[in-house]
Amino acid sequence: MRKLFRTALSIISISFLVSCNGNTPGETSDEFKPSLNTDTECEITIVGSYDNFEALEAEFDRFNVYYPNVSLTYEKIDDYNNVIGSVLEREEKPNIFFSYTWMMGNSKYDSVIDHMENLSDSSLKLNLDCIRPGLLSHDSNNNVLMVPVFSRTYGTLVNENLFKKENLKVPETWTELLNVCKSFSDKGYKSPMMGYTAKSSSYLMNTIAYPSFVAELANNPTALNLANNLDPSAGQYLRSSLEKVKALVDNGAIDVEECDKIADNYNKVILRFFEGDVPMMVCAGDTVSGTKKRESQSEAFVASPFDYSFYPIPSTEKGGYFIDSPSIEFSINKRCDDLEMTREFMRFLVSTKELNNMASLKRLVTPTKEMSFDSVYAPFGKVPQERTFSPEVIGIKDPLTAQVRIAALKVGRKTLTVDEAVAQYGALRE
Amino acid sequence: MKKIWVVIVNVFIMISMVVFVFIYASTETKAITQSQIENFENSTVTMEQVTENYLKGEQRICDVWAHYINSEDMTMEEATSFIRVSHVLKNASAHLLYLDTQTGKSTKPKTGTTDEYDVSYSNLGLLNDLSWVHEIGTSINVSRAYTNPINGEQSIAFCNYITLKESGEAKDSILLRVLPVAELKDNWVFLKEKFENAELSIIDANGNYIIKGNSFKNSSFFEFYKSYNNIDSTKAQVLFNKITSETGSLTMYNSRHEECIVAYTPFNATGGWALLSLMPKKDLIVDTENWFLIGVITSGLIILFIFDLIVMLTFNKKLQLTAKEADSANKAKTIFLSTMSHDIRTPMNAIIGLTTITEKNLENEKIVAENLRKINLASNHLLTLINDILDISKVESGKLNFVPQSFSIVKTVENLMNLSQPMIKEKNIDFSFHISRMDKEYLYADQLRLNQIYINILSNAIKYTEPGGKVSVDMKEEESEKEGCVRLTYKVSDTGIGMSPEFMANMYQPFSRQTDSRINSIQGTGLGLAITKQMVDLMGGTIECESELGKGTTFTVILDIPIAEHQRSEMKLNSMDVLIVDDDEVLLETAVDTLESLGLKAEKAGSGLEALGMIKHREGTGKNYDIVIIDLKMPDVDGIETIRRIRSEVKTNVPILLISAYSWDDVEEKAKEAGVNGFLSKPLFRSTLYDKISEIVGSEVTSTEPESDYSDIEGMHVLVAEDNDINWEIISALLSMYGITSERAENGRICLEKIKEAKKDTYSLIFMDIQMPEMNGLDATKAIRALEDPWASKIPIVAMTADAFSENIEECLNAGMNGHIAKPIDIKLVIKVIRRIKEESKK
Repeated sequence: MRKLFRTALSIISISFLVSCNGNTPGETSDEFKPSLNTDTECEITIVGSYDNFEALEAEFDRFNVYYPNVSLTYEKIDDYNNVIGSVLEREEKPNIFFSYTWMMGNSKYDSVIDHMENLSDSSLKLNLDCIRPGLLSHDSNNNVLMVPVFSRTYGTLVNENLFKKENLKVPETWTELLNVCKSFSDKGYKSPMMGYTAKSSSYLMNTIAYPSFVAELANNPTALNLANNLDPSAGQYLRSSLEKVKALVDNGAIDVEECDKIADNYNKVILRFFEGDVPMMVCAGDTVSGTKKRESQSEAFVASPFDYSFYPIPSTEKGGYFIDSPSIEFSINKRCDDLEMTREFMRFLVSTKELNNMASLKRLVTPTKEMSFDSVYAPFGKVPQERTFSPEVIGIKDPLTAQVRIAALKVGRKTLTVDEAVAQYGALRE
Repeated sequence: MKKIWVVIVNVFIMISMVVFVFIYASTETKAITQSQIENFENSTVTMEQVTENYLKGEQRICDVWAHYINSEDMTMEEATSFIRVSHVLKNASAHLLYLDTQTGKSTKPKTGTTDEYDVSYSNLGLLNDLSWVHEIGTSINVSRAYTNPINGEQSIAFCNYITLKESGEAKDSILLRVLPVAELKDNWVFLKEKFENAELSIIDANGNYIIKGNSFKNSSFFEFYKSYNNIDSTKAQVLFNKITSETGSLTMYNSRHEECIVAYTPFNATGGWALLSLMPKKDLIVDTENWFLIGVITSGLIILFIFDLIVMLTFNKKLQLTAKEADSANKAKTIFLSTMSHDIRTPMNAIIGLTTITEKNLENEKIVAENLRKINLASNHLLTLINDILDISKVESGKLNFVPQSFSIVKTVENLMNLSQPMIKEKNIDFSFHISRMDKEYLYADQLRLNQIYINILSNAIKYTEPGGKVSVDMKEEESEKEGCVRLTYKVSDTGIGMSPEFMANMYQPFSRQTDSRINSIQGTGLGLAITKQMVDLMGGTIECESELGKGTTFTVILDIPIAEHQRSEMKLNSMDVLIVDDDEVLLETAVDTLESLGLKAEKAGSGLEALGMIKHREGTGKNYDIVIIDLKMPDVDGIETIRRIRSEVKTNVPILLISAYSWDDVEEKAKEAGVNGFLSKPLFRSTLYDKISEIVGSEVTSTEPESDYSDIEGMHVLVAEDNDINWEIISALLSMYGITSERAENGRICLEKIKEAKKDTYSLIFMDIQMPEMNGLDATKAIRALEDPWASKIPIVAMTADAFSENIEECLNAGMNGHIAKPIDIKLVIKVIRRIKEESKK
């Protein structure tokens, strides 16, 4: 019954979002029509950092319906961020590669950016209109060099059965969150909220602090400017976010020592959550994407399955935030072989139908205007528009996010006080 | 066997055959496919050996390098230089790394640079766990596929621990001989053409691809398998252990849900590695399921089945029809017997009953006479019935022989009229008989059969017409297409009960009788029309019928009848003025025409009063009619009254003839009293008019009609073989009436003895009964025909028997008899036969 309710809610939410974000004028039809000789034989290689990309491989099969003789391969690149430059220059050059907004403006990736084709070039006929505008990044020439294929958000996985078992309601406000955590603590749960805390890339602290900070800056351009420029004075805008981290740790909601037992930011986080004794596992949507496949890999979950959903962390008395930012983006290597077929594949892929299909398979949020949530993301459908932010739209730059991440981790681990972290904003290092 | 079972058995056989062909072809396909899979497995094993040899070769190079570096106590730079010198492969390179930092030097510069040889593996995770690297020369230490940090190529590395000198100290290091996977893949394909679509992968013990073929998805084969194939974790673990430890094959679905065969075999020289070869099952299966053959067989069987079914159904339908006909015939036989029983018993009842009554009233002559008359009627009816049965028998067996002879159509019609009169009178039927000019009086045909046809039709018309109804007969003679013949059309119309179309469809079937509430009882045998139709057909004529229920019926018989050789001499009378009076316009027209053909001047009057006026007018002019012919029945003033007035109002004593289609019995006296000079029956044939007018005016009448003179047979002596005393008495008495004497033989044996003993010409012929004691008629005839005496053996023998069916006649003729007369005997027929035999004996 509950699942049914959730599914129905998802459908209503999606319908609402679709109606709010209806197709913009000029959006072309989603029906793909081959523009090249369908007998063309060639090889297309897509390189990225994912170990597995079955959702993309499914798209290969769908593309092969039109072009049966095109061989498409996904290749995982080791040490992607450091090696991608060489990979793009190798003898058998990849056609499409993963790209990230943080690469732009980083001189280390100038050569990578240089390989990116302008996807907003009208001659490519890419249907960029199907993508939510907030997720599209533009370079200084207003060109679109990368197309998001998934959207990332931040929140917490909630073990619904555990809440039910303890007769507790999933918190919707900051106060409720504190109370729920206390209740769990009182009932013997060592760390009602958990997550990966070992490195600064940790989602736990950052996921609590970052959405609040983004919300703080969204309506304050001056603060945003200062924060982007890593001006120490911008630290004051981070204070309330960091205090929330501190409060949760101090409150016993987060036991850092217990969280440190989680060895990595993805697989172990999921498997720990599936142990069934963690009420809330804080993570990003990327982590949620791995849950489905790992259900069968977790002996504990197979033995005692439970319902779970991904909720925004209620960091205000009104509720939580929905931070909508690109997860993975694709760029075309303009120096690859078979460039025309590469563009054709991108034309095929960049459509509401295919991107939604891929997001569904990957259990991630689609970047298209027609958002289709997996049922596990249903709670995000309830977040109102005023609490939905796109960092790219607001203009938040990567150095800023790094400062927040480090500050949150250090405050959470109590290596810095809130005051120290605020004061050191702009100069915080790993 | 019921039809449905025949169909089921056929369908079962058909399906069984198709299933057999299908199973046979499937089994063949499975066997060949299994053989192909085994072949595929063997090829995979071969590939494993080739690959292992290749890997060993590459590892050996690495071993040699490592051994040399270790033996020479080299620094990083020295070792790098050594390897650069040793390198011969263009795309191969070597990385030398300190194990503690996972950094070192590459033998080739970083892509895009010429002097940047530094290389780091610290972020790759490749060297974090080196359990797979063993001492030099002990195993193949090859890495998984990884991204070469120097050039970004997917590569594998053959490794060996080495020791490098740095700052005078030995430092644990590792040597990686790096080869691009692309190059390996290019040369690493199945050799056999039939497996050209096979793709190869090498996986480690965890299923992770060392080298990955395009069709292999995911980063782990095990994950790939689980993603597209339903299997629980326990079974999956068993399967995956098997894959990395045994040689075999499995079937799985790929990402396109295509069935694929994966052959696997472990590498002996590496820990837990396995070689996988995958190809779509459809490429491996040699389809021996010849669907075209199965289709042809199936179609053929279906066609055969349908054909057989149609033949069977047709055959069954015919059988059903035959059975129905047989059943119908059986029923007809039963109905026939039942009808016969009824129809025979009815007159027999009258005969027996009336005989009994008569015996009790012998002293009352009036009752005796009346009863004898009724007995005679019943006897005649019975005889008619029996004759009809005999005729039907003859017709149906094709044994009806016509005996043509010269006869007068006038006499035939007179006979017809005479026979019809009693019934016409009894039912008070308005009867008329018209003839158009009948030039040929004498025709040559079987008069009896012709009579039978005409009487049957006319008597039916009278029978089925209510009292007061109307029956009219039209007879005309026309030219025939047949040479020497005239076409005689005989048309009988009545206002009787008519017939329904349903009845008309079967009216020529024996025992068909139209019944109607207005007709109180069955009037005939129900055989008449059947006989008539058969006879008309045999005579080459046509019979047509138009009828409407409740309104009446018209039968038309058309026959082409040969003209007799002898006709009456020219019939011409002296010119006389004749007045003919009748209300029937048609009769007037035909009569005037006939009278004029006799050389007379004829005038006509439509009523008695008109005739009276015309006669008076003639009297006034002094030119009286020579003869006046007046119809009996006329409206207003009938014929007798007209005659009476003529006689009273006209002085001239003109001869007057009264004509009528009815019997004279009731009016003869009155007519004579009125002053009639003679009577004339309708229809008015030319010869009839000629004879009567000649008689009236006193002319000599000559006729070519043969006289009925029995002098030719008087004095004949015949032998009658008859065991029945009464029958003997009747025949003997009848023959004696014609001056023929007879002698009796009580049975066939006595007959034979008498013939043997008789002198030549003692007997003119023998009348032979068939069923007799001691010796029957047939045996006696055969014995007589076998006698040596030529006279005796050739004596004419005529069967006189109650065995009247066609086969009886045939038996008699076959026994050597010369003719057949059925009992009860018609003496006229007997005389006719005697005459015929006498004529034949003269020849």
